[in-house]
Amino acid sequence: MSNMNYLGRAICVPALFMLGACCCDKDIVSPVAPPNTAAGQKTATASAAAAASVLTPNIYFDFDRSDITEASQAELKANAAWMAANPTSKVMLEGHCDERGTSEYNMALGERRASAAREYLVRLGVDPARMQTISYGEERPVDPGHNEAAWAKNRRVQFVGK
Amino acid sequence: MRTRTNTTAILANAILFLLLLMPFTLRAEGASEYIAIRKQGSGRIAIALDKTMAKGGQEVQWASSVDATIKGGLDFTGLFNLLQAPANMHDAQGGALNFTALNSVGAEIYTGGTMTRQAGKAALDMEVYDALSGKQMMKRSYSGDEKQLRSMGLRFCADLVELLTGKRPQLFDSRIVYVSKRSGISISDFDGQNVEHITSGRQISMNPALSPDGNYLAWTDFTSGRSDLYIRNLATKTTVAVGKPGVSIAPCWRNGSDEVAVTLSFEGDHEIYLVKPNGTISRRLTNSRGIDVSPTFSPDGSKMAFVSQRSGPPQIFIQDLQGGGARRLTFSGSYNTQPSWSPAGDKIAYSSAQKNGEINIFTINTDGSGLLQLTGGSKYNESPSWSPDGSMIVFMSTRSGGRRLFMMNADGTNQRPMALGDGEQQQPSWIKGR
Repeated sequence: MSNMNYLGRAICVPALFMLGACCCDKDIVSPVAPPNTAAGQKTATASAAAAASVLTPNIYFDFDRSDITEASQAELKANAAWMAANPTSKVMLEGHCDERGTSEYNMALGERRASAAREYLVRLGVDPARMQTISYGEERPVDPGHNEAAWAKNRRVQFVGK
Repeated sequence: MRTRTNTTAILANAILFLLLLMPFTLRAEGASEYIAIRKQGSGRIAIALDKTMAKGGQEVQWASSVDATIKGGLDFTGLFNLLQAPANMHDAQGGALNFTALNSVGAEIYTGGTMTRQAGKAALDMEVYDALSGKQMMKRSYSGDEKQLRSMGLRFCADLVELLTGKRPQLFDSRIVYVSKRSGISISDFDGQNVEHITSGRQISMNPALSPDGNYLAWTDFTSGRSDLYIRNLATKTTVAVGKPGVSIAPCWRNGSDEVAVTLSFEGDHEIYLVKPNGTISRRLTNSRGIDVSPTFSPDGSKMAFVSQRSGPPQIFIQDLQGGGARRLTFSGSYNTQPSWSPAGDKIAYSSAQKNGEINIFTINTDGSGLLQLTGGSKYNESPSWSPDGSMIVFMSTRSGGRRLFMMNADGTNQRPMALGDGEQQQPSWIKGR
């Protein structure tokens, strides 16, 4: 399974649901315009539950920590609801770190973040078989900056629909 | 430079210093006259490098190529003060050396030679003189084809350093394996020359580690879509993947064995395992909740230093592999990683993330004494790795912007960038020559 697949689907899957109801979740990163298929429209409008629980693309962590913050708990609950409303969906949980600290240690830390998010979702009833984890350590920052604002964005678990 | 010492440590260091000094002085008496004299002085050896004489277009080209190699090689050691050769170094008529002129510019040593062509090959005849006494110290010939000019020049450098220090240098045939962001895992000569790319750089590849016998290269590779430990037999060019679920991080070969230690997470926690060159797991070395990562081994392979979360934020621990628990080595600083055990076995270099936002390189004795800060005021300084003779450390620094490789003496002096091409580089590991 190539990374391109995950990426492509990361954009498409949440986008399908945002078509019907993309009202007010500020945490959602606006995706690129998706292929506007009839099937996509139908799925999106048909599922009010899904509209209320769009897959949150990222949850964030404190420096050198892998425990789930209070803010992330609500987002993980929403993601669990999304997975319940979309029972055939699968997700990849990518663990990432900021550039501080060292590459080796951050590879392990990224995996612990992804595992922590996965375990939290399992406790909420999500089938573990529907989730995979991967760590990219500090190798794939979303913000290349060298300041706390950038670091805060990079310390994340990114949810990628499969 | 910042040191943390206490009275005991000062006393211990003083005794150690005296112990080190004693055999040195005794040995000097038995060694060549020159070494004995050098002990009384200090600092760099003032050396006048003469232009290699040659007749004929090709010979002149060869000579200037060898001169550049010798100048670069000797400069790299940090042992020499390279002097501008005085114009009146040779007597006008006979070409004999004018030692008065050499002395007047402060030269202690003179080297010069001739390049000729013999049966199509380059023949280099080099001479070394003690500029003070006018005595010839060495006369040696080197030959090879055009492609071997660099190795001829470096062989002379090695012979000269051995002559003047009494020790055969391991520098000139050592190499650096590192990650180039653009070109993937790469190996260069000690001075950044002769770069060879092992992977393509299209996928993430990390932490290359060459086995002590030089036969195998291990690294973390994302070609399969996730991190896996790859082990390549450099002779047969065949590669095996360990293929365990989870991450594979920071391989390091255990000295005195053919096994590589690496952090794997397939059993649920980040633990360090020994893996055979065929990719099968030999045994597990750590058993502690939390991250255990970045192993490095004592020269005899009996002990392992590594990074662990067992006491909270990452710190460096030392574990005896014959049994017995791990003892914490670092107590200063709250984020200490990337240990590298010195070839002499007495010190560990590591990187420490500090409160001021810098990451700096330190060395510490394996008993926890003698903490020494080597970098400071220069952003991130990471991934220290000792030269095979322990006299220098290669490391990554962001002091000039992107991630680039730098070198310094083992006491932190003479920090300078490695002459590598464009693009960012990181995770260097200094390895012995074949």
